[in-house]
Amino acid sequence: MWERILQIVRKEFRQTLREPRLRTMLIMPPLIQTIIFGFAVNLDVEHVKLGWMDLDRGVESVELRRHFQGSPTFTITHEAGSEAEAQALLDRGDVQAIVRIAPGFSRDIGSGKQAQAQVLLDGTNSNTAAIMGNYATAVIATRNRELLGERQREKLVDRTAAGPILLKIPGVEPERRVWFNPDLKSRNYFVPGIIVNIITLVTLMLTALSIVREKEIGTMEQIMVTPIRPMELILGKTIPFAIMGMFDLLLITGVALAVFHVPLRGSFALLVFAGALFLLSTLGAGLFMSTISETQQQAMMASFFFFQPTFMLSGFSFPIANMPTLVQWVTYLNPLRYFMDIVRGVFLKGVGIEVLWPQLLALAVMGTIILLSSALRFHKRLD
Amino acid sequence: MPPDGNAVEIRNLVKRFGEFVAVDHVTLDVGRGEIFGFLGPNGAGKSTTIRILCGLLAPTSGSAQVHGYDVAAQSEQVKQSIGYMSQKFSLYDDLTVEENLDFFSGIYGVPHELRAERKAFALRMAGLEDERASMTRLLAGGWKQRLALGCAILHQPPILFLDEPTSGVDPMARRQFWDLIYAMAEQGTTVFVSTHYMEEAEYCHRLALMYKGRTIALGAPSELKAEHGDGATMNDVFIASIERAEEEGL
Amino acid sequence: MNWRRFRAIFHKEALHIVRDWRSLMMALAVPMLMLILFGYALTRYVDRIPTVIYDQDGSPQSRELVERFRGSRYFSIVERQGDYREIIQRINHSKAILGVVIDKDFAKTVSSNSVARVQLLIDGSDSNTASIAAGYAEALIMAYSAELREQQIVRRGAGKMETPIDVRLRVLYNNELKSKNFIVPGLIAVILMIIAALLTSLTIAREWENGTMEQLLSTPVRPNELLLGKLAAYFLLGMADMAIALALGVGVFHVPLRGSLLLLTFASALYLFGALCWGIFLSAVTRTQLLAYQASLVSSFLPAFILSGFIFSISDMPLIIQQVTRIVPARYFVAVLKGIFLKGVGVSVLWMDLLFLFVYAAIVFMLASRKMRQKMA
Repeated sequence: MWERILQIVRKEFRQTLREPRLRTMLIMPPLIQTIIFGFAVNLDVEHVKLGWMDLDRGVESVELRRHFQGSPTFTITHEAGSEAEAQALLDRGDVQAIVRIAPGFSRDIGSGKQAQAQVLLDGTNSNTAAIMGNYATAVIATRNRELLGERQREKLVDRTAAGPILLKIPGVEPERRVWFNPDLKSRNYFVPGIIVNIITLVTLMLTALSIVREKEIGTMEQIMVTPIRPMELILGKTIPFAIMGMFDLLLITGVALAVFHVPLRGSFALLVFAGALFLLSTLGAGLFMSTISETQQQAMMASFFFFQPTFMLSGFSFPIANMPTLVQWVTYLNPLRYFMDIVRGVFLKGVGIEVLWPQLLALAVMGTIILLSSALRFHKRLD
Repeated sequence: MPPDGNAVEIRNLVKRFGEFVAVDHVTLDVGRGEIFGFLGPNGAGKSTTIRILCGLLAPTSGSAQVHGYDVAAQSEQVKQSIGYMSQKFSLYDDLTVEENLDFFSGIYGVPHELRAERKAFALRMAGLEDERASMTRLLAGGWKQRLALGCAILHQPPILFLDEPTSGVDPMARRQFWDLIYAMAEQGTTVFVSTHYMEEAEYCHRLALMYKGRTIALGAPSELKAEHGDGATMNDVFIASIERAEEEGL
Repeated sequence: MNWRRFRAIFHKEALHIVRDWRSLMMALAVPMLMLILFGYALTRYVDRIPTVIYDQDGSPQSRELVERFRGSRYFSIVERQGDYREIIQRINHSKAILGVVIDKDFAKTVSSNSVARVQLLIDGSDSNTASIAAGYAEALIMAYSAELREQQIVRRGAGKMETPIDVRLRVLYNNELKSKNFIVPGLIAVILMIIAALLTSLTIAREWENGTMEQLLSTPVRPNELLLGKLAAYFLLGMADMAIALALGVGVFHVPLRGSLLLLTFASALYLFGALCWGIFLSAVTRTQLLAYQASLVSSFLPAFILSGFIFSISDMPLIIQQVTRIVPARYFVAVLKGIFLKGVGVSVLWMDLLFLFVYAAIVFMLASRKMRQKMA
């Protein structure tokens, strides 16, 4: 049994590693993807191009402008003189938001009346819009607090023998303590997730084609007339790709640490162990698709068809907790979900087996089932 | 060892693909050590029959035994006892000659101590001793065929199925290939070979003519020719048999 | 260019597509699946944040604050009376994102007219969710604080004080901030890439692998006829996908289509043509399906997903990556899609993007045609 598995393993290694383009394929795409996506995948809103539409041109509007200019998030790039101009700026995408200050703004503030400021947000990306709105509100709130403070000082003074003193008033201050990712950098969250996705893509693709390609070339027929057992063939096809997948896992993890300085707080050994369990599922799924496909094109479409929803339902960029309950249940069948939890847990939270054992167990069970079913699905017959 | 008797026994074998009947009630026996030829135009059902005998396809009805094993129920035992060379060249193009041999040696479970000897034999037989390190895709057609044969006999199967082994190979190489088949038969191997070359039919001990899924003639080449009168060639026999079959309303 | 030969190639390709029903089903099902997932299931809208509260004080004042967390739809209290250990446990197991800790002298501090502190412990791993969650919690606490102050000020007879500046947020184009409104149009760019790059890159590679290309070479067919014949078949498939996506998006998910349908069709055709040529170019270069598939995935599908501004906004990427996005056609197409769907703008605004799509299509067509000629010579 081991003899036959070893033969298949040796053959797969020879075929993959001998071809220079295949060799390159194992290294370059994962590397480039990690780097580009690591930089690009980012939900932080840090640079907002802001338009300024000042119909007041008084002391107070200038003061508010100073506050926006002082904010690290906003850069005032355009001025709008009229509603039409403001609309055009947003339509063309020259600015993402516009602060519109109505005439009489400074006068109202001076006379203690409530003044109006409007923030126009480009809602085409709802996530960005929500965050921009929060930031703009926060800038104006700061100004409000200053103004309010001045007014309270005028009114809430008490006269004592020693002269006027400020009365104390109560308040509640929230105090933020952010764990695991204190700078709230989304890169720290996404880069470990990218590792999961790239490993899935690479291993799924290699194995999805491996059996069906032999069917197309005709060599599978030659293998089928030999006494080899389906499980031997499946294992022989799994092991080399598992090793290549592990190699890629180490490669991208190295890049994540070296290029993106993502903290790795937990155990590296646990990460590798979980990776090995995870590969059982992706390789098994790839082989399964390879056994049910008749052409390479079908196998590729099938692997894509598998990857797409598993990727989107992994919690990589869309939190599982936000999904409808039914869909949340479906995600329990998704191996990526568990590996995503593990990778993020190990990288960011530094937790270990005591926390992650359910995920590890799920991966082991799913991987075994998937791999077994692809062995069962593989028949040594042509019809 | 399975019981004595014929190497191949086929009884009323039928294979349907949907509406299409590829093999239509074929019955025949092949004795041990025989070179049995399967002659017929393309699409006559030769490849389908061979694939059923190798356990690659399940018969729709009827039965077949190879080396005493039922091809439907005991296909794994069948696979231990046969060598198979498919119509389409199907070795790994991107492995060397030697690597292909090593691979199949391992897959067939040839004992370690015998491997070097078997490989040397296969290389010698195929005349590929000087090409052992060549990439398979660079070999000429005739050599590829001999290598494929070499890979199919590494485990010394008692029965060999060759599906149009010489198609697309030049006449010289074809001749050499048949020398190999003879050498194999002399050592007691049963060879079941299909072809559409008439002159190759003459090399077989016995022949079956296949047409539209049926055997329309069966016998030694000399018997078949004698049935059609003096000086008849294999070609005449072939054409006459087909015409007769057509008249019978096939 | 011979019309009859073109037709023959086109007909053959169309037969391949129709006969291989599994691939065809997938080509049509993948877009629908993606639309349905994005339309129903996937959103970054943050609410019901799982929260553990540790109220060490238990006074009426602190309970009032807890009640406000309970009443808000943004929070879902998983544990009312936890402690630090509980909070750490829940956050480690990803059962909670937020911990709210109220000091035991909360009521005393507030009654003595001092400023009490409430600790917010936040799981920062998903920074986006974390900062939104923190924002909601802080806003809630500040509102409570403002009320306390106002009560005190009124009690001292100082009169009500209004907020000096009243901010009104107005969200344009997508006033309910629905993520599907921007994701569904962007998805069209991704879906067209799947058909174009993934399916097409395989077709010529397959002909090389199967040896049918040699057969074609022996006929008088010209490279451009082969190219356009193959292209036309997949073009129709891509446009069919586009129509499905459009119908589902507008009909089922009620994504607004504010601009011109005609312009949308034109822009999609331009983008699809370029993408198809790219797929064919790749397959002519790689000649094997495996490599063609890999190359097209890396060079077209993933950039369309990640570098197009579809989900992740380009202006927040590092400068170098921003430069890279300039050669990603999906970037321009996504801009056109958002412009037409959400903003309702026309050629006067989008002409630059359209021009780029045209130039891209032209360049890639020439590349593909040259590569075919080389391979066929």
